[in-house]
Amino acid sequence: MTNAKQLASSRYRAWLGLLALLMLVAFTAWIYELRYGLASTGMRNVISWGVYIVTFAFFIKLSAGGLIVASSAEVFGITELKPLARLGILTAAACVLVAAATIIPDLGRPARIGNLFLHPNWHSPMVWDVAIVSAYFLLAAMDLRVMCSGSEPQRKHKLLTMLAIIGLPAAFALHSITAWIFGLQISRTFWNTALLAPLFVVSAILSGTALIAIISGALQRFGGIRLEGSTWRKLSGLMAVSAAIMLFFLFSEYLTVLWGNVPREMVTLKMILPGGAFSLLFWLEWVIGGIIPFILLVVLQTRRRVGAVVTCAVLILVGVFAFQIELTAVGMANPLIQLAPGTSIGTYTPGRSVFQFVGQYAPTWVEYSIVLGLIAFGALLVTVGYRWLGAREFLPTRAARTDEAMQKAVHA
Amino acid sequence: MSKRWGIAIDQNRCIGCWTCAVACKAINNQPLGTYWNRILTSRPNENAPTTAPATLAIDVPHGTFPDVQLAYQPTSCQHCQNAPCEKVCPVNATFRREDGAILVDFERCIGCRYCMAACPYGVRTFTWGEGQYAPEFAVGYGKDYRSAGRLVFTPQRPIGVAEKCTLCVERIDVGKQPMCVDACPAGARVFGDLNDPASAISVSIQQQGGRQLLSELGTDANVFYLPVSRPNKVRS
Repeated sequence: MTNAKQLASSRYRAWLGLLALLMLVAFTAWIYELRYGLASTGMRNVISWGVYIVTFAFFIKLSAGGLIVASSAEVFGITELKPLARLGILTAAACVLVAAATIIPDLGRPARIGNLFLHPNWHSPMVWDVAIVSAYFLLAAMDLRVMCSGSEPQRKHKLLTMLAIIGLPAAFALHSITAWIFGLQISRTFWNTALLAPLFVVSAILSGTALIAIISGALQRFGGIRLEGSTWRKLSGLMAVSAAIMLFFLFSEYLTVLWGNVPREMVTLKMILPGGAFSLLFWLEWVIGGIIPFILLVVLQTRRRVGAVVTCAVLILVGVFAFQIELTAVGMANPLIQLAPGTSIGTYTPGRSVFQFVGQYAPTWVEYSIVLGLIAFGALLVTVGYRWLGAREFLPTRAARTDEAMQKAVHA
Repeated sequence: MSKRWGIAIDQNRCIGCWTCAVACKAINNQPLGTYWNRILTSRPNENAPTTAPATLAIDVPHGTFPDVQLAYQPTSCQHCQNAPCEKVCPVNATFRREDGAILVDFERCIGCRYCMAACPYGVRTFTWGEGQYAPEFAVGYGKDYRSAGRLVFTPQRPIGVAEKCTLCVERIDVGKQPMCVDACPAGARVFGDLNDPASAISVSIQQQGGRQLLSELGTDANVFYLPVSRPNKVRS
């Protein structure tokens, strides 16, 4: 017994050490970026948003799952999801915090970030996003506080229901507004579609639930908890339904472009469809992260097996990340005034022309390190928060299950 | 009525010599690799292509031989009346003066590059790293310039800030013309007040069918292009 405990605690320490190391590397890379400017990233004038914005939008989406799981457990009384409520809210708070942190290395002038609050321009979707991200974080923090407070159960339940009722529309607003950062821009036909907000909401539910499934799977494997089969079925059902809706939205979007055959819109879509330069993203999004997990979850009834559900969840995250890369990179690579002679990339490299005919982007080691560090930051928040907030108390442990089984056996 | 400054570019006169681009670089002391103004090519009377492929090298005609055509489209900030960049700037660093000039406050910009994503013309540039200069001293208008107290031009560019054509506000505020207009050897550029129906620019746009780039987006640009072939072409 003590050996097992020691093993668990040394594994826990190693995990924390790894996360701390990744964060340290990211911090060093950020210092480097501050010193040499955004020239140390792969972003240049034509494709001027890169993996930071991708990661930002991705973490915003991940934050959905937790809150939706917790809120729907409260509001709609889905008891199967109740054990996950505290873990869910914790994940939501961590993800939204990481998303906010991702913006800082993306800024050319991070020291001036206070201007967002001193001189906000309320026309800008980015200011709406700052407002909703802050509100969402506060909401999740309040939720956690109430959950962990020692107040009487009746009062607690009332407060939690109230927060959950605010939480669901807040989550919709968060994802819609993040979508509108892209979707309202007339300059990019690929972004400028009314479908983008619903698409973001459904892919947020999809990826957020997948994250909860992955974390639950990891806890079941390493943390000594055991969730009911019915909870797993609810999670995989939610994933399957939202994957189907997401693919339907994407198909509807593609069909609108294909049928209309408007050249400036077709250019973008052709880059993504099989045969285009970005078709890898299409396969990741449609097959690896879409159709395969959907079939596994629905047709093959794999939802009974935890390992298979977690695998599906990982595939889904790959797919949603691919969607996010596609949206940002392909959108930026297709400006309305095509990449004509004289497109200047904005920095001077001796021996190379500053004039480009196509926009180019590949993340540098600085970007990779910082993004990895941010992911580690999120994982650290969840890991530490899980212990500190006692999320485990709510989760059925292996021991408890065995006790129940014993009692049942005895009664029988 | 207040002024509404604009530029009309006569594509029939433009010979694609890049003098306006070089003059712009010089007066504004732009670092290597930064162009606020550049010369794109298009078919006559059309926008530079909105669909790929644009031509594959500088100054290559559009079309398939022998049916080839070429017109030059000098492209810098269009100073839109309904500017997407101004609407998206989260901190009001990009602002529009009453006379129509869209400017960037170098001291307020946080470098989020949302304006670059929002600009339909792709004319904004960003100072990605420490600027390198061919002569290692400030050339051109070598002083800071403030409009209503806000720093809208500085010769040594601050890093991590979005920038673009300023319509040479430091020159037009003292009654001069923007540098690209003064420098054009072909006399292809007309600068003036679009609100004054008798000004040279208003008359030429009126008579020669001046058009705005991507006018279907409703940005209402203050830069107009006089087409290559037109009924009332002025011969001189």
